[in-house]
Amino acid sequence: MIRLYHVSKSYGSTQVLQDVTFRLSKGEFAYLTGASGAGKSTLLKLLYGAEAPTSGKLLVGGVDASKLGPARLPLLRRNLGVIFQDFKLIPNRTVFDNVGLALEVIGAERREISRRVNAVLNVVGLGGKGERRPLDLSGGEQQRVAIARAIVNDPAVLLADEPTGNLDGAMAVEVMEILLSINLRGTTVLIATHDIGLMERFPHRRLRLNAGRLSE
Amino acid sequence: MSATLGHILRRAARSLWENLSLNAVAAGVIAAALLLGGAFWGAMSTLNDAVEVWEKDVHLSAYFASGVDEERQRAVYAEVQAMPEVEAVTWVTAADARGYLEERVPDIQPILVELGEDAVPASLEITLRARYIGDETLADFVIRLQRAEFEELDYGKEWVERLTAFLGLLKALGAALGTLLVMAAVFLVGNTMHLVTYARRAELETMKLVGATLQFIAAPFLIEGAVQGLVGGLLAIGALSGLKAVLLGRVQELVPLGQAPLADGSLGLATVAGLLTVGVLLGVVGCGSAVLRFWRQAP
Repeated sequence: MIRLYHVSKSYGSTQVLQDVTFRLSKGEFAYLTGASGAGKSTLLKLLYGAEAPTSGKLLVGGVDASKLGPARLPLLRRNLGVIFQDFKLIPNRTVFDNVGLALEVIGAERREISRRVNAVLNVVGLGGKGERRPLDLSGGEQQRVAIARAIVNDPAVLLADEPTGNLDGAMAVEVMEILLSINLRGTTVLIATHDIGLMERFPHRRLRLNAGRLSE
Repeated sequence: MSATLGHILRRAARSLWENLSLNAVAAGVIAAALLLGGAFWGAMSTLNDAVEVWEKDVHLSAYFASGVDEERQRAVYAEVQAMPEVEAVTWVTAADARGYLEERVPDIQPILVELGEDAVPASLEITLRARYIGDETLADFVIRLQRAEFEELDYGKEWVERLTAFLGLLKALGAALGTLLVMAAVFLVGNTMHLVTYARRAELETMKLVGATLQFIAAPFLIEGAVQGLVGGLLAIGALSGLKAVLLGRVQELVPLGQAPLADGSLGLATVAGLLTVGVLLGVVGCGSAVLRFWRQAP
């Protein structure tokens, strides 16, 4: 589902990723781990097309993400669910609108949007909070809105950047359980995290980044 | 497709409502640009129309030499009247001309007495048919009109030519100024819309990250731009009509503009349509360029 061949990324003279090669199969669950600044977020950005690699090849769902032009980039992103570290929720839109956005952009009918958004809000435990604004919610609830938006489309791949970084222990476990349940439905999940406790509690494959180099 | 259109229209309507003040500023900028451009174009157009009217209204004055008696003057009058180029001709006798001058300039009477009976000559006031007003035909006519009975032929062609040349220069300057105005308007509207997109960058960035296409993001903005342009155009039309009604009346009191079509205070359908079209184009181009700039910068 995800394949990287000798991918490198540098910003000017700063090398962020060096010769990264790995493969993630369909339905696999993996952690991308490493210290702050190791290149985890950059690697995720390469996967959802926010950055282009300096060299190497990068396939997501069979599509070469490194060669996508601006016109085809949205098509890649519609097959991905991304949970951003800062959530990227629109503050002046309701929870329902924020989650429904991922369906609006693909031209879903309003009735279909309503059905799927309400269903996914129930999955993440936010049923009945659709009319709230993100800023009226706790950090954990906002995180779950971001998860709901990422999965409402039934994506083939789910990328999460530090999805438990802002949460306390109990809330982090709750979020992890949601992500695991999504994985059980066949979605490939890659989570960037440096939370060792969480990785030990929910053991899965670990991809370690150290100064831009990958090891397992 | 219809669902996407529905989302786009809803987004545009919501955005217009939620960003009322920013949209009002953008419409105001468009209105100001159109008002400036429209006022300049209107002034040029009015002047042009007036010159056309003056050009079509070329009169010739043929002054009889002293010593040509009235009988001979009558004969020449008949000859001139029979010329195919002549629309109308009025014979002004020396007595009539003197009386007219005395009436218009009462203080001149002692001078006329001093100068004697021949001070004010008799003349023929000739109006040409429109098709004979061109430069060459007019010159031909003046040659054919030359007679021993006439002392002087006077026609206002020269100053009209000078005015036309001046107007040509003014038009060239106007075209340059107009281009600058349009560029400034696009720049102003573009920057105003850049502020609008900047204020909503978080929303737009999120939309792009979840897979929105450029068309999906840009379409509501283009609709907003069109509405801003329409409102700006209507404001400019109102302001221009008011300006015209007030200013043109004053100008016409000072300078006779003939039958210039802009003299009635209304702008005319073509001008109204032109202002609205330019307004909508300004709004759409301004918004389009702002969204495109955002699209290129966003991750």
